Amino acid sequence: MKKALYIFIFAITATSAMAQGSMMSWQYSMGFATGNLKEYTSPASFRGVTYNYNKMIESGAAIGLELGWNVFYEEKGYGTYTSGDVDYSGKQWRYSNNAPILFTLSYFKNPDGSVTPFAGIGVGTMYSERRTTMGSYNFIGDGWHFELKPELGFLYNMQGASLAVSAKYYYGFAAGDLPAEGFFTINVGFVVKR
Amino acid sequence: MKKRILSLFGILSALLLWGCYPDGPEYTQDLDIVVTHHNSDYDFVVKATYAMPDSIVKITGNLQEGDRPEYIPDVNAEQILARIESNMTLLGWSKVALDASPDLILLPAAWETTTIYYYYDYWYWWYGAYYPYYPYYPPVYVSSYTTGSLLMTLQDPTQFGGNGNPINQWNGVLNGVLNDSFNATRINGLIDQAFTQSQYLKTN
Repeated sequence: MKKALYIFIFAITATSAMAQGSMMSWQYSMGFATGNLKEYTSPASFRGVTYNYNKMIESGAAIGLELGWNVFYEEKGYGTYTSGDVDYSGKQWRYSNNAPILFTLSYFKNPDGSVTPFAGIGVGTMYSERRTTMGSYNFIGDGWHFELKPELGFLYNMQGASLAVSAKYYYGFAAGDLPAEGFFTINVGFVVKR
Repeated sequence: MKKRILSLFGILSALLLWGCYPDGPEYTQDLDIVVTHHNSDYDFVVKATYAMPDSIVKITGNLQEGDRPEYIPDVNAEQILARIESNMTLLGWSKVALDASPDLILLPAAWETTTIYYYYDYWYWWYGAYYPYYPYYPPVYVSSYTTGSLLMTLQDPTQFGGNGNPINQWNGVLNGVLNDSFNATRINGLIDQAFTQSQYLKTN
């Protein structure tokens, strides 16, 4: 996952220098797995961060780039698992790293008011890696999902910056070693407008 | 300036996230695993007797090049073999001598594997941006661990594969990171688990 971190930092640095009529946000992200991902790691994730760069194109509309990183983790107690004629017992540590890279289209209603509701969609990819540690062995599967993401939220505008609160749902279609997987996130952070 | 601060905040958040990445196993016992495999076409229920050697061979060296077989210390082997026998008895099996035409032969074997690994300090590039000549030594760390495995196989002396070797009808493998001393409680628990999860071996 180091490459995801490098991409993350590179994109932040690059988009920080972009032109006016833009907004940039950092948000802390809490994740709640659904479906197959929930079967793999059921606890909520409190390890997540998301970065958005939006370029205003018309009144209230914006196109942008979103990068994120959500880590789901579960320590499974001692258990026995069966696969065909093989049974195996031990403790498991399960990690799911998810790094979405999305192009976004957003609409901000009442952008000059004190509260700005917004809605958006994102399309792109998400790199996911599942790693199961059992004994001294790691079992790793990964894939680049085709990713869709709807989003709803609002900005609370203050002098010079805004507080952002949003809810997103990431859905990635089956890819590589991994099945389709999705998760909700609740995000809280700051927005700076230029 | 605001954007620089925001970017810095973001980069620090990402690094903080990386720093609080969840941990894994804490104790060597956490890494113990038991794996069993059986031939689902083989009918264990109609069998009743087995034979087992009174020592446990270590898989090491090369017999074809003239190396002598090695065995784990008798004091340890006796405890392991007794535990295996008690589990087989619970499942309804009777231990007999090898020349008494047993239905199956249970063969235990053990081996150790030492893994040497290295990793580098991934902050190196970060420091390097500020201190071009840092560090003076390679930021690489070397460590190792040794795992021990006990393999138990059940073979039918009347059935052979295409290569002429007996077919393993059941395999049980116990694997864990070795400590400095033999821990009977730990290995007994793993042997028990191998048979607990293999109830298809039950004949009674």
